[in-house]
Amino acid sequence: MANDYILEMKQIEIQFPGVKALDKVDFNLKPGEVHSLLGENGAGKSTLIKCLTGVNHKDAGTIILDGKEITPTSPQDAIAMGISTVFQEINLCPNLTVAENIFAGRQPMKHKQVNWKEINKRAEQLMQRFHMDIDVTRPLYVYSTAVQQMVSIARAVDIQAKILILDEPTSSLDDNEVKLLFDVMRELKAEGMGIIFITHFLDQIYQISDRMTILRNGHLVGSYNIDELTKVELVTKMVGKDMDTIFNLKRANVDPDAPYMLTASHIGIKGSVEDVSISLKKGELMGFAGLLGSGRTETAEMLFGVKSAETGEIKKNDKVVNLRQPHDAIANKIAFCPEDRKRDGIIGDLTIRENIALALQARRGFMHPISRKEQDELSDKFIKALGIATPDAEKKIGELSGGNQQKVILARWMATDPDVLILDEPTRGIDVGAKAEIQRLMLEMCDQGQSVIFISSELDEIIRCSNRIEIMRDRQKVAEVNGEGCTQQDILNIIAEGASAVK
Amino acid sequence: MAEKTSASKRQTFWNKVFNPNFIMVYAAILIFLIIYAFGAIMYGKVGFTTLRTFINMFIDNSYYGISAVGMTMVLITGGIDLSVAAVASLTGMIIAYGTGVMGIHPAICILFSFVVGVGLGLLMGATIQYLNVPPFITTLTGMFLARGVCSLISRESLTISHPWIDQLAGWKIYFKHYVDGEWVKVKPIAFINLNFILFIAMILIGFFILQRTRFGRNIYAIGGNEQSAKLMGLPVARTKVLVYGFNGFCSVLAGVAYALYVKSGWNLSLQGGELEAISSAVIGGTLLTGGVGNMLGTLVGVLLKSVIPTLITFNGNLLSWWGKIATGVLLLIFISIQTFITNYSTRKKI
Amino acid sequence: MSNKKFNLSDITKSKIFWAVVAELLILFVCLLKRPDFFKISYQPATGMLYGSLIDIINRSAEITIIALGMTLVIALGGTDLSVGALVAVAGAIALKFMRWDVLVYNTPGDYTVKPFALAILVPLFVCVLMGMFNGFLIGVGNIQPIIATLVLMVCGRGVAQIVTNGKQFTTQYSPFRVIGQGHFLALPMPIIITIVVIILMYIFVRKTAFGTFVESVGINRSASRLAGIDATKVIIIVYAITGLLSAISGLIYSSRIMSNDSNNAGLNYEMDAILAVVIGGTNMNGGKFSLAGTVIGSIIIRTIVTFVYYFGIVSEATMAFKALIIAVVIVLQSEPVRNYFSKKFAKKNPALKEA
Repeated sequence: MANDYILEMKQIEIQFPGVKALDKVDFNLKPGEVHSLLGENGAGKSTLIKCLTGVNHKDAGTIILDGKEITPTSPQDAIAMGISTVFQEINLCPNLTVAENIFAGRQPMKHKQVNWKEINKRAEQLMQRFHMDIDVTRPLYVYSTAVQQMVSIARAVDIQAKILILDEPTSSLDDNEVKLLFDVMRELKAEGMGIIFITHFLDQIYQISDRMTILRNGHLVGSYNIDELTKVELVTKMVGKDMDTIFNLKRANVDPDAPYMLTASHIGIKGSVEDVSISLKKGELMGFAGLLGSGRTETAEMLFGVKSAETGEIKKNDKVVNLRQPHDAIANKIAFCPEDRKRDGIIGDLTIRENIALALQARRGFMHPISRKEQDELSDKFIKALGIATPDAEKKIGELSGGNQQKVILARWMATDPDVLILDEPTRGIDVGAKAEIQRLMLEMCDQGQSVIFISSELDEIIRCSNRIEIMRDRQKVAEVNGEGCTQQDILNIIAEGASAVK
Repeated sequence: MAEKTSASKRQTFWNKVFNPNFIMVYAAILIFLIIYAFGAIMYGKVGFTTLRTFINMFIDNSYYGISAVGMTMVLITGGIDLSVAAVASLTGMIIAYGTGVMGIHPAICILFSFVVGVGLGLLMGATIQYLNVPPFITTLTGMFLARGVCSLISRESLTISHPWIDQLAGWKIYFKHYVDGEWVKVKPIAFINLNFILFIAMILIGFFILQRTRFGRNIYAIGGNEQSAKLMGLPVARTKVLVYGFNGFCSVLAGVAYALYVKSGWNLSLQGGELEAISSAVIGGTLLTGGVGNMLGTLVGVLLKSVIPTLITFNGNLLSWWGKIATGVLLLIFISIQTFITNYSTRKKI
Repeated sequence: MSNKKFNLSDITKSKIFWAVVAELLILFVCLLKRPDFFKISYQPATGMLYGSLIDIINRSAEITIIALGMTLVIALGGTDLSVGALVAVAGAIALKFMRWDVLVYNTPGDYTVKPFALAILVPLFVCVLMGMFNGFLIGVGNIQPIIATLVLMVCGRGVAQIVTNGKQFTTQYSPFRVIGQGHFLALPMPIIITIVVIILMYIFVRKTAFGTFVESVGINRSASRLAGIDATKVIIIVYAITGLLSAISGLIYSSRIMSNDSNNAGLNYEMDAILAVVIGGTNMNGGKFSLAGTVIGSIIIRTIVTFVYYFGIVSEATMAFKALIIAVVIVLQSEPVRNYFSKKFAKKNPALKEA
C-alpha cells in the first residue's frame, strides 16, 4: 500500500566532510497528517529537511513524491514540486512589504504588470485568517519577530503545496500565536495536506501531531503513532539515555548570611523596562521567568551595560558601579551570555581558542596580549571541563553544533572568572543532553561561590535550578518566589494575574 | 499588542507617506529646491531661473543619469559596478575608431558596443554569482580591462565626425510659446535633445522594471536578503547576472550619449564617472547595503549633482574644485540623514 | 592532524599559495624572456643595488604601505576609498611647507632653514585626522565604509588643490629628496621605509591582541562588543592607521617627483591597494587577514607592470594586460575553483589526507 503515502524517503544517505550526516534514514508522510520529526541537535533533522528542499543533495536513497521519484536540486525546484517550507530562521526579505513577502516570485499579474492591488488585498485576507490585523503594505522589518514568523508561515501555506514543512516555527511565538498556528495546521490537515513539524517543545508535539519519527546521530530510531510513546519514553529514545539520569541536578546551596554580590535598585530605561529591583547573593542562582518581551532580556542588558540604565543604581559588592558599556561590566567581573548566540555570541570565523580567550583579552586590553601558550592552556582546560566536542581548539567555532557553541561562549565567560554570570536563554535551540550539561555547569559555578542569573522561557528548567525566581511581566517585575516548592502553575498564575492587575 | 497593530493599520496613509524609504527622496527634493531657490535669489537676474538653465541641468549630466539607472539596480541587489565609466568610455572609442578609422557606419559601431558592454556585464555578473568573487573586485577588474582596451585602441583623443552622428546630436525640439498669433521660440532658447529623451526614457524604463515586473521585485528581494530570496524560490542567480547585463547596457547607452555630447572618443574620458553614478543613486536614497532605492530618487540625485556646478558657473569667481568639496559635503549630509533614518526606523518595532 | 603543514589539500586551499604561485609564474616567464632578469648588481658610484627585482619592490612601495593599512580596513569588513586622495593631500601639504623659508635670527648673521620637520609631520598629522574622520563616520555614525570614505575621496583632491591654491609646486631641497630617491644599506629608501612599516605593523598587529580584535570586530561587531571589545575604538584606530600610511606613501610619491600633483598623485591607489589585499587572500567580507599575503599581492601588481614592459608589449596595453592577469589570479583564488583543486588533490593523494 505504497500509495497511502504522499511522500516516501527511503534509505537516504548524506555524507558531509568527515561525518555521515544521514545514514539510511527512512521517512514517510501520509496526506492529512501532522508528522513530527524529532531528535537532538545534530541528529540529522535539518539535514533531512534540507535534502527534501534541495538545499543539500543526497548521496544515496530515493525520494518519492506522489508516486513519482524526485530529485530536488534547489529550493525553487522543491517549491515547484509542491514542497513548501518554513525554515527555522526567518527567511524573508525585511525590506519588502508584508504583502510582497507573501507573494514574492508568484505575484499576480495584470497586463503583464505586477498587480499591487490584488497582492495587498489577498495578503490582507490571508493575514486575517491568522487573526493578524496588520497593515500589509508596511515593510516587514517594522514588525516583531513573532509577526514575521507568522508572515513566513502564511507564505508557505498560501503556496498551496502538497507538503508543508515547519522547521521550529514556534520558537518565537507566544501561546496565543501558537494556538492560531495550530488552528491553521488543523485546517490544512483537513484539506489533505501533509505536514512535517519540527520543534523542541515536547508539549506541542503531543498537541498537534499524529505520528512521529525519531532520529539520533543520523540514524533512524523509529516511527511511532503519537499514543505509542509517553513523553519520558520519547526523550529516552531521542537521547538514548534515561531522563532522570540526565536531569539529576541539585539546587545550589546558599548560605543565608551570604553577602549580596549584585544589587540593582529601581533601574529602568524609559519605554523599555521600568523600576526593576533585584538582589543577588553570593552563590545563588536566580531565575528570570516571564514571557518573551516581558523585559527579562532588557533587565539583563542593563545589568551588563549593553544599554545603560537611565534610572536607579547598580551595586556590585556594595559599591555603586556605572555600567555604560559591556566593557565596564566585564571590568566589574560581570559576564553575560546573550540570547541570540549567532548574532551576539559567537565570532564565527575565529577558532575555539580565540573565542574562549576573547573576553579575558578584552578586559586586559589589546596592549597586554595573552600569550599563545596561555591561550592553549585555557582552551584545553575548558574543552575538557565543559566536554566541548571538537578534535582540537583550532576548529572554527562556526563549524560546531549549537550546543557546543554555547559551551564555548560559556567557557569564554568562565575564563574571565566572573562573580556574576548572566545567561539569557542559554538552552534555547540546543538538545536535551547539552541542556542538562549547561544547567549542571551553572549549578557548579554557584557551588564555587559565583552567582548566576538564569533567564529562560522554559519554566521547568527555571524551577529545577533556581533558588529564587523573579517574575517579569509587561516590562516590570511583578513577583519574586522561592524556587523550592514552586510549580509551573504558580508562575503561570502570577503571570496571568499580573496581566489583569496591570491593565 | 492587538491595539497597537490596529492603530498602525488605521494610519495606512501616513505610513505610506512616511515610509522611511521615501524620506530620502523627500530630503533630496527639498535640498534641491533650497539650492535652486538660493540660485534663483542670487543669480535670478542673470538667467538662473530660465527654462534653458533648468533643461540644461538634465542635458549636461544625461550620461551620468543613464548610467545611474543601471547602477541603482545593481546597488539595490547589494552589489556595485565600478566598470560603468570605463565601458562608456570604451563605447566612445569604438564609435570614434569605427567611424573615423575603419569607416564603418556608426549604427553598427553602436550595436557592436552593445554586444561588448552587455557581454562584459553578463560575464562579470556570472563571475560574481558563480565564482563568489566580490562585486567590487570583479567590476574593478572589468574597469581595468575596459580602460586598457580603450588605450589599446588609441591614446589620442579621436574626433567623431559622421553625418549620421551629427544628425543625431543636432536633433532638437525647441520650446515655443504662443505670441501674437504665432509660435515663437522661447528666449533664451531652450530645447530638448536626444540625450534628454534617452535619460528620461531610461528613468521611466527603470521605474517600470523595478516596480512592475517580477524581475524588478526579485532585485529588491535579493538586496533585502539574498539567502532568503534563494529559499523563497526566487531565481537569484539569473536575476543577478541579468542585472549586471542590464547595467552594461546602460553603460553603453551612457557612452553613446556622451559621444553625442562631446563628439569624440578619448581613452581617459569620464574618469571617476562610476563614482558620479554611484553617488547620484546614493543621494537619491539608494542604500549601498542593498534592498532600498528607487528611480525617482535617482533622478533627483542626478539633478542635485548638476545644480552645484551650475551654481558655480553662475558665480563665476569660484574655482571648480569647490564643486568637488560641495559634492562631498552634500554626500555627507545625505548619508547622515540616511543613517539617522535607518537607525531610527529599525529601532522602532511593532 | 599532527603534521598539518604537509597536507597538500590544505595548502592548495589557501589563497596565499595561489598568490605565490602566480607571482613565481610571472617571474619565471620574465626570466625566460630575459635571462638576466634576476641579476642584481652593485654600483659603487651611487652605492646602490640595481636590478629588476629591486626595481619592482622599490616601485611597489607606495601601494604596499597603503595596502597594509587597507588589510586591516578590509579585515574590519570595510573599504577605504579615500587613500588616493590622502596621498594627494599629504603631497600638497608637504610641498606647501617646502616653499617656506624660516628665518632664524642668529648673532653672526641671520639665515633661513626649510621647515623640513613640519613638511613631514604636518601631512602625517593631517592624514591621521582625516583617517579618524573616516573612522568616526563608520564607527560612531554607523555609515557604510564605501560611502563614508567616498566623502573624502571626492573632497580630498579639492582640499589638496585649496592647500596649494591649485598650483603645482616644486622643490630642490635635498633632505626631502632622500625619502623617495635616497638609499640606505645599498637599498633604495622606499624599500627601507616599507620594511620598517611592515615590521612595525606586524608587531602592532600580531604581537599585541589588536589583530584578533580587528578580526573579531570584522566578523561580528555586535558579539565583539558584548565580549567587551570597544569596537568603535578599534575602527577609529584602524582608519587612522590607514590615514597615516597614506601620508607616508604620499611623502614617498612627492619626493620621487619632488613636486605635488593634486590631480594625479595617488590616482587609483585605493583600487590597487584593495586588489593587493584581496589577491593576498584577505576576504572582502572581513575577518581573518594576512599581512604577508598583502605584501605579495602588492608585489604581484607591480610585477605585472614590469612584465608587460619587459615583454615589449605596447605600454598602452598595460592596463588591459594587468586586468587579464588579475582576472586569472582572482578566478584561481575563488572559492569554487579552490575547492575543486583541493578535492582533486585529496583524491589523488588519499594517503596525504590521512597524514
